Amino acid sequence: MSTAEYSNNPFIGLDSLTDNALMLRVKAGDVDRMGLLFERHHRALLGFLYHMLGGSRAASEDLVQNVFYRMLKYRHTYSADGEFRTWMYHLARNVLADHVKKNRHAAYHTDVANVADYLGGGHLADEGLEQAQDVLVLHQALARLSPENREVLVLSRFQEMKYGEIAQVLDTTEGAVRVRAHRALKELKTIYLRIEN
Amino acid sequence: MNCESTQDQLADYMSGQLPEPEHSELVAHLAGCTSCRAELEAVQRVWRTLGKATTPEPSPNLRPEFYAMLADFKSTLAPEPKYSPKGLWRWLRELQIPQPALRLAYSLALLLVGAVGGYWLNNQPKTTPADQQQLATLAAQVGEMRQVMLLTLIDNPSATERLRAVSYTKELDGAADAKVINALLSTLNHDDNVNVRLATLEALAPLAADPTVRLGLVHALAQQESPLVQSALADVMVQLQEHRSLPQLRALLKQANLDGTVKSKIEESIQTLSTGRPAAPATTPQRHDQTHVFPRAERPALAV
Repeated sequence: MSTAEYSNNPFIGLDSLTDNALMLRVKAGDVDRMGLLFERHHRALLGFLYHMLGGSRAASEDLVQNVFYRMLKYRHTYSADGEFRTWMYHLARNVLADHVKKNRHAAYHTDVANVADYLGGGHLADEGLEQAQDVLVLHQALARLSPENREVLVLSRFQEMKYGEIAQVLDTTEGAVRVRAHRALKELKTIYLRIEN
Repeated sequence: MNCESTQDQLADYMSGQLPEPEHSELVAHLAGCTSCRAELEAVQRVWRTLGKATTPEPSPNLRPEFYAMLADFKSTLAPEPKYSPKGLWRWLRELQIPQPALRLAYSLALLLVGAVGGYWLNNQPKTTPADQQQLATLAAQVGEMRQVMLLTLIDNPSATERLRAVSYTKELDGAADAKVINALLSTLNHDDNVNVRLATLEALAPLAADPTVRLGLVHALAQQESPLVQSALADVMVQLQEHRSLPQLRALLKQANLDGTVKSKIEESIQTLSTGRPAAPATTPQRHDQTHVFPRAERPALAV
C-alpha cells in the first residue's frame, strides 16, 4: 500500500503503532483500535474481494464488513507472532469461500452493470469506454480461472504481495506459489486472447 | 537458457521478483529470441491490463457502516453482566456441541425436570387446613352412615348381613355410641346364630374399656347356652381380669347340661381369676368361631 492512500486519513500521524500492536490491543479488549486497522486496510481488502468476485462493488463491500466483523469476533485467535495482513487475508478467504458457497449459481459472474462502477468511479471516465471494456473482458477472463490461480494473480498483482507472503496467506510453500503464478498468468493470457478475438 | 524456462520466468520478471543472475540471463535471451519477445509482449499486455483494473472507490456508506458495526459490536461486549440470560443463550448458541451430545443433554434435562417436579409434588404440604376440616367432616359423615348401616343390618333376618353389621364395629374406630353398644349386647345375648354371637363377642371385647360393655359381657355369661360362646366369654373374662364375673361363672358350673370341656375351662378360669394370676399372655385365646368372617387373624391385645 502506498503512503499516498493514507493522505486523507485522519489517523495517520496520531498513531504510529504497527498493525500487529494494534490488533493485540483489540485482542486485549480495546476494540476501538479496529477503527485504525480499518482505515489502513479496507481499500486493499475491497480490491482483493472485488477482483476475486469479478467486479461487484456492492457485494465486495458487504464482504469487507464481514471480514472486519470476523476479525472482531475471532480476535482471540490472533497470535502475536503472526503478521496482521496475513491473518486478515486468511479470514477474507474464508468469508469469500462462504459467500461463494451461499451464492453458488451467482459466483464469479461478471455483470455488465458493473461497468458503471468503473465509469462512475471517475478513474476511467477520461480514458473512455474502450478501456472499461478491456477491464470487463479481463474480469471475464479472471472469472474463468480456478479460484486458486485467480487468488495468486490477484494477490501478487493487485495487493503487490511477494510470493513469500502469498505462501503464508495460502498456507503453502513459496515454490508452489511461484508455479501457480506462472500457470495462472499463462492461462489468463490464453483466455484473454480468446475472448478478445 | 532455453525458451521454455524463459517463459516460466516471465511472471517473476514482470512482478520484479526474479533474482539477479536469472534476471540478466533472461534479458540476454530476450534480446536474441523473437518468439520469446512475442510471448513477453502478450503476457505483458495482460499484466498491464490487470494493472489498469483499478479498485473502485469505496462507496460513501462503507466507513459509516463499519463504525456502526463496531459500535454495535462494542455494545454487545461492554454492559453485559457476567451471567445474563442473553449472554448464556449466545454462549450456548456459539458452543459447538455434536448432535448426540445435545440429545443426551436434552434427555438428561428432561429427566431432571421430572425428578425435581416429582420431589416437589411429594414434598408439598399434604392438605390445607380447609381440606383437613372437610376431610374430618366427611369422615364423621361416613362414621355416622356406618353406624346407621350397622343398626339397620343387625336386625336383618340373614345371618350374613348381621355378621357384616357386626364387622362395621371395627370400622367405627371405637367411636361406637350407646345405641350401637346396646344393639351389639342384645345381639350377643339373643341372636340365634352362634357365629354371629361369637363375632359380636369379638367385636365387643376391644370396647371393654367402656363400663357398660364390661358389665354387659359379665351378664351375658348367664344367658349363653352354646358351649363355644361360653368358653369364649370365659376367656374374655380372664383377659379382662373381671372378678365380678366369678359368681356368674360359678352359677354356670351348676348348670346340669354343661359341656364337659366348657366345664373344665370355666373351672380353670375361676381359678385364674380368684388367685389373681394374670392370664399367660403367650397363650392367645384361640378363635372360637367356625367361619372366617373377619380378615384379622388375631384378637387385638386388650388394653386393660
